[in-house]
Amino acid sequence: MSDSFDKKNGRDKTQMFQSQTQSSIGEGSADKKAQPSPTGLLANCFASDTAFDEVRADDGKVRPHYVKLFGALEDFSTVELRRRSESCERLVNEQGIAYNVYGDPRGMERLWQLDPIPFVIAQDEWRALETGLIQRATLLNKILADCYGAQELIHSRWLSPAMVFGQPDFLRPCHGIKVPGDSFLHFYAADLVRSPDGRWWVISDRTQIPTGAGYALANRLVTSRIFPEPFRDNNVQRLAGFFRDAQKSLARLSPRGADNARVVMLTPGPHNETYFEQAYLARYLGYMLVEGQDLTVRDNSVWLKTLSGLERVDVILRRVDDDFCDPLELRNDSILGVPGLVEAVRAGNVVMANALGCGLVQSPAFMSFLPGLCEHILGEDLKLPSVATWWCGQKDARKYVLENLDKLVVKSAFRTHLRTPEAGKPLSDEESEDLRRRIEFDPDLFVAQERIELSAAPSWEKNLLVAKPVGLRVFLVTTEKGFSVMPGGLTRVAPDVSGRFISMQRDSSSKDTWIPSETAAADVSLLNTSAQSVELRRTGNNLPSRLADNFFWLGRYSERADATARLLRSALRLFNPERTSGAQPLLAPLLQTLETQGQLPGISKKPELRQNAEAFEAELLAAIFDPSRPGSLRQTADHLQRLAMLVRDRTSNDMWRVLSQLNDRLATPTASLVILSGDAVGVLNQTLMGLAAFHGLARENMTRAQAWRFLDMGLRLERAVYLCTLLDATLRSPEAENPSVLEAVLEVVDSSITFRSRYNLLATVPAVFDLVLLDDKNPRSVLFQINQLAKHFEKLPKEREDAPGSGKNLLAKCAARLNQTDPRELASPRGTWTNSELSKTIRETMRALPEISNAIAANYFAHASISRTGRGSES
Amino acid sequence: MKWEIIHRTSYAYASPVHNSFNEARLQPFSDEWQTVDYFLLKVLPAARLRHHHDFYSNVVHHFEIVEPHNTLMVESNLRVTTKARPLLALDATLFSLSRISEAAREPRVFDFLQESRFVDLSPEVWRFALDATDGITDTWQAALALMGFVHGTLKYEPNSTTAHTHAREVLRDKRGVCQDFAHVLIGLCRVLKIPALYVSGYLATEAASATHAWVEVLIPGVGWRPLDPTHNREADENYVKIAVGRDYSDVAPVTGTYKGTTERKMEVNVKIERLNG
Repeated sequence: MSDSFDKKNGRDKTQMFQSQTQSSIGEGSADKKAQPSPTGLLANCFASDTAFDEVRADDGKVRPHYVKLFGALEDFSTVELRRRSESCERLVNEQGIAYNVYGDPRGMERLWQLDPIPFVIAQDEWRALETGLIQRATLLNKILADCYGAQELIHSRWLSPAMVFGQPDFLRPCHGIKVPGDSFLHFYAADLVRSPDGRWWVISDRTQIPTGAGYALANRLVTSRIFPEPFRDNNVQRLAGFFRDAQKSLARLSPRGADNARVVMLTPGPHNETYFEQAYLARYLGYMLVEGQDLTVRDNSVWLKTLSGLERVDVILRRVDDDFCDPLELRNDSILGVPGLVEAVRAGNVVMANALGCGLVQSPAFMSFLPGLCEHILGEDLKLPSVATWWCGQKDARKYVLENLDKLVVKSAFRTHLRTPEAGKPLSDEESEDLRRRIEFDPDLFVAQERIELSAAPSWEKNLLVAKPVGLRVFLVTTEKGFSVMPGGLTRVAPDVSGRFISMQRDSSSKDTWIPSETAAADVSLLNTSAQSVELRRTGNNLPSRLADNFFWLGRYSERADATARLLRSALRLFNPERTSGAQPLLAPLLQTLETQGQLPGISKKPELRQNAEAFEAELLAAIFDPSRPGSLRQTADHLQRLAMLVRDRTSNDMWRVLSQLNDRLATPTASLVILSGDAVGVLNQTLMGLAAFHGLARENMTRAQAWRFLDMGLRLERAVYLCTLLDATLRSPEAENPSVLEAVLEVVDSSITFRSRYNLLATVPAVFDLVLLDDKNPRSVLFQINQLAKHFEKLPKEREDAPGSGKNLLAKCAARLNQTDPRELASPRGTWTNSELSKTIRETMRALPEISNAIAANYFAHASISRTGRGSES
Repeated sequence: MKWEIIHRTSYAYASPVHNSFNEARLQPFSDEWQTVDYFLLKVLPAARLRHHHDFYSNVVHHFEIVEPHNTLMVESNLRVTTKARPLLALDATLFSLSRISEAAREPRVFDFLQESRFVDLSPEVWRFALDATDGITDTWQAALALMGFVHGTLKYEPNSTTAHTHAREVLRDKRGVCQDFAHVLIGLCRVLKIPALYVSGYLATEAASATHAWVEVLIPGVGWRPLDPTHNREADENYVKIAVGRDYSDVAPVTGTYKGTTERKMEVNVKIERLNG
């Protein structure tokens, strides 16, 4: 590794290149004891000649720390291994572990790739790594504290001004801000790789937003379940302790004391690539996941906007890049942040983790300075080396880089959107010349790093093991006693055997990481076992109004899907292809309702459709499956899944699973709609079962707090809308009194059984409308929906004004009108049904419903209205 | 000299706005050449004020107005004493231009040698700077020549530019106000590696009393010297300095974000009075 350079590398301050001669952590040759030769599974799994083989020593034997694992795996039959790898896939699927890929037009989420075979690191080797990582995190934190404080390192020329002031990640407004305990870096992650000689190297430092710990945890939960035997026999160290440390550490940061600390996790939103992880961690750690718009600053403190008012926030675990956190003092084009946040931090009323400005030391340019800085600051040698790095801002380094351009990986030194060559691809002469010119023109912006051939570990691929290049991301959290390392990490696997670079944005996979120990691992759980008493809480009145909005629409769309599926199912069943001539009288009210609700636009104006059985059937099927058709069941299911994602951290995994399955089922038939209507009925039945499961879970598993209330309000409102539409359409139909038409209505609203148990006669308008419109005991009647909505209003925080347009008043009027309708009077219509009192009542209710919905939005989701942020400045 | 200054900025919004968070850079420095004897900042609607020193040591006041409001008024009242400083001779030679890159050794000088929001260091700026300093070997002489170039090339034309006009456009259209003159001079100095910063402040002339902007350049061994390209002279005790930065974006007197309409009117009134004694 670049020996020629190391010789020049003295202790000269001006030449602080990466030292490579120091002792490094790695596998020695201690493990060359006699071990059983690999057979079976590993027989054909070899690393390339030049790469380090993680599993096999030079003599071909399995390394000791892998013996137990492969011993166990060899015991399984191939069939059994395949079964377990399938169950691995299923578990990932069920938990909905996902990673968003930018620029993917279809589907925001991509499923996480988990390779079932864990990556194992020997305990003594791990201990050495731990020591090195703790030293590195401590060092980086001290560098940050200096750059945002006294700046001694710059004055004494250990760091050049360009290294700090030239970086977009140095946040000038944050200079001079005091942070508790001089702790800037609460979380730190590093990417490690192992070179062919067995030594570990850091290839990147993650200090801005160290992501991945949640994925490591998710991987662990899956892998430990599919391989419980080897997991137990290896005494694999548990991860929960790391997260408990994180909780304690964050609570301790609270300016109001740890006991009442309110910690929230600030997310950029569901479009962020690691949104799954944010929701997953927020739930695991017990923090609320909030967006910038959920927070506000009052009197230099940060508050959470909830339905019942403002609640103070003490600590913000941020997943938003620091420069986006405050449009007032940082990037003023940010819509993710909270105006006034920096001043609140400056006032000491809220603490950010990581501190604002931490992105500074993430720059690869710092790597070339770390050995010198470590000796200067800590008085120790840097224990864990970085991959050899040259910052072109230094003359000698620049010269070396330009001379060895073809052997190095050139990267942008700072977080800018520089054009740099794709890693691992050889440069053409032209590209190389262009790069050379750009480095010479603005050298400060470039670093070059040595290429390292990654080590290889066995990876499961279609019934056999293949050795693939791996890298390891490790995680640290600060505690009272300094940094603590997660015993394990996120192992990432390159997509193909020759891969050298791993990025989750490409098609790479991941593994659980095991650190075996001699003694059985202690069980740690996140449950608070200390003696301190916990204040019992029965209410969760802390729903951000943005989430209330999303729950409301989740309710509306779930009921919309339900109604659409029922209407289309009845339509398909009643449609009689034999009767091509003449109208389909039974269908009239259903089709009218589907037209009004938008599933079959303009169907009444296309009488020719009803003449042509095939065309008509195709129209119905399109209303079910066509994803591009507005209002189709498929689209509604898409909306549902999108909304479910927005409230992901507030719903159970079961609810999430039910909704994803719903979508999958409808998505199966592709663009060509060659489906038999019989199959379609089957799909609709399954859809209705899925929705029933969803509603059942909502009813039985959600506490009667605000989230459930808004979900149910959405459902009730939507159901009232479609009931009224259907009843109205029925009265307008020329065959309103036809018992078969009324039977169809009863079937759609799932009230046939009730009707038959009450009336031993053919359906009549008064009897049916009494049951479906006025019966407050029937959960599918209009009045029942209105009454439920009114009950919800009672339980919610007061509406902002008691104006005549308030939701409560509107509901009271609707209820009064329905209650005054005497079912006995229904029996004798004067003239046609269309002009009857009954019809008027239904239409008035229909008119009131959108107003009620608007009142809910205006009162409880008011913040969601778009308000423009203007930046004022004087000329 | 003693000065009494009232500086009022008023905003009138077309419809009520709320959640307004603001920073004001209105309190002048106290240093070797000026002392602030009295300073009071008033905000209406009334708001609690906090302050801190920013990265360039300017005093920054913070205030938030959460409740809906139709107007916002920010007014500073101050009394400042300025001292006469010895001006440098116009023909002095102080530091060789060929050694000017040594100025970059001072860590905090870094920011004043880079491009910034309103100032770029393009080849075009570099050519202008070279032409204007042809044959000059001294840093001070170069700075004076560049100031003369700006003064002679740009036409002072009120309202020809906005607060957000980039130096590039000023150089293209050859006109602007004091802020633009300062931005162009800063760019010309920086391409030649002469550290230059932006100063906001007040200047009382017979014609008017108003906010003003000028430049400070670093002459190694001598210190930062204030040059006013609008008037082609070194700033003297008639100038009151408020804040410094890389360019206008670092020293805007009032800046903030709020929620509500973008339709608004702004009015600035400055009254500068010379006190006796």
